[in-house]
Amino acid sequence: MTVKVYSTPTCPWCKKVKAFLKENNVKFTDVDVSSDEKASAEMIKKSGQMGVPVIDVNGTILVGFDEAKLKEALKI
Amino acid sequence: METSSKNYDFLIIGAGGTGLAAAMYSARLGLKTLVLGKSQGSELPIGGVITTTNLVENYPGFIKLTGTELAEKIEKHARSYDLVTIKEEKAEKVSKKGKCFEVKTEKEVYVAKSILFATGTKWKKLDVPGSKEFENKGVNYCALCDGPLFKNKIVGLVGGSDSAAKDALVLAEHAKKVYIIYRGEKIHPEPINLKRVEENKKIEVINNTNVVEIKGEQFVNEVVLDKEYKKSKTLKLDGLFVAIGHIFLSSLAKDFGVKTNKAGEIITDKICATNVPGIFAAGDVSDGAFKQLITGVADGCTAAHSAYEYIGNVGGEDC
Repeated sequence: MTVKVYSTPTCPWCKKVKAFLKENNVKFTDVDVSSDEKASAEMIKKSGQMGVPVIDVNGTILVGFDEAKLKEALKI
Repeated sequence: METSSKNYDFLIIGAGGTGLAAAMYSARLGLKTLVLGKSQGSELPIGGVITTTNLVENYPGFIKLTGTELAEKIEKHARSYDLVTIKEEKAEKVSKKGKCFEVKTEKEVYVAKSILFATGTKWKKLDVPGSKEFENKGVNYCALCDGPLFKNKIVGLVGGSDSAAKDALVLAEHAKKVYIIYRGEKIHPEPINLKRVEENKKIEVINNTNVVEIKGEQFVNEVVLDKEYKKSKTLKLDGLFVAIGHIFLSSLAKDFGVKTNKAGEIITDKICATNVPGIFAAGDVSDGAFKQLITGVADGCTAAHSAYEYIGNVGGEDC
């Protein structure tokens, strides 16, 4: 399973998502869209919007931190 | 009171700075305390609204730190007391149970001798054509979260308060141009932030003007103003941030019979008591005149002490 988190360092919900993934022992790649313009464009293209966090779970795109939906996507 | 895991002396609804400070103090006073920490509508995590502030410079003891850092310290302080339990559950209903109160969440029913509403506020949304359609597609509410996505872009910021000015300053760290669009005569942040705005060459203030429509294709590309600015009623923007105030999250309290004022703030006295004995309110949701983390924290501690006195005097018996 590939999990990618598009985040900014100052976003409280991004911290929440990453803490949740760590608590559940889910390996993920953290991409800081504030310093990586290519990643920022990729996130906007994938999610069709400009808010963080965006989580890509094997191609399933989730916007924001919705624990139930994230659990469903991660099958945990 | 029986020592069931569902029974508490003091139940705090809301885990922003106010609720967490109240929990820290009630534990010091020996009260078994539960904080229900899931957002009551603010869509913010534990720590509350201060987590969306970039720099906090008005909290004694810390010359400068981020809102998230400060929130984490306050949360850690509350959690350092064994008598404090924080659960990420949302309170759905409050009712009376004998001399005590019952709070129902999506998972459980808790009983407490006293309750504190520290439910805070949520951002008021801009209500003009295009504002819903383009939400998160250029229309954003959290400058701190989403500002970095507007690197070298042109953005607008609707509002004139201190929060609006601080948001504009955050945006100016990323965007190449920031327009503050304010309906009143002159923006009114704290003088220190007004000076920063005035000195920032990227920020331009448009007073006496409203955004009346937001336009774009997939994302925002312009807004329509209700009066001309530089000979045009349209302003080319890549994004529009909104900081036009807050809605008080008091409906749960109101449903239980707690009195609120016309604005929706819970009416409290000097000891943070409401019209219902045993029910207290503090922080942004209450009718205090000056709303900052520092005042919310102080109110939270006052409310904890008031609950302690109330329980000692009135509600000391079993529920």
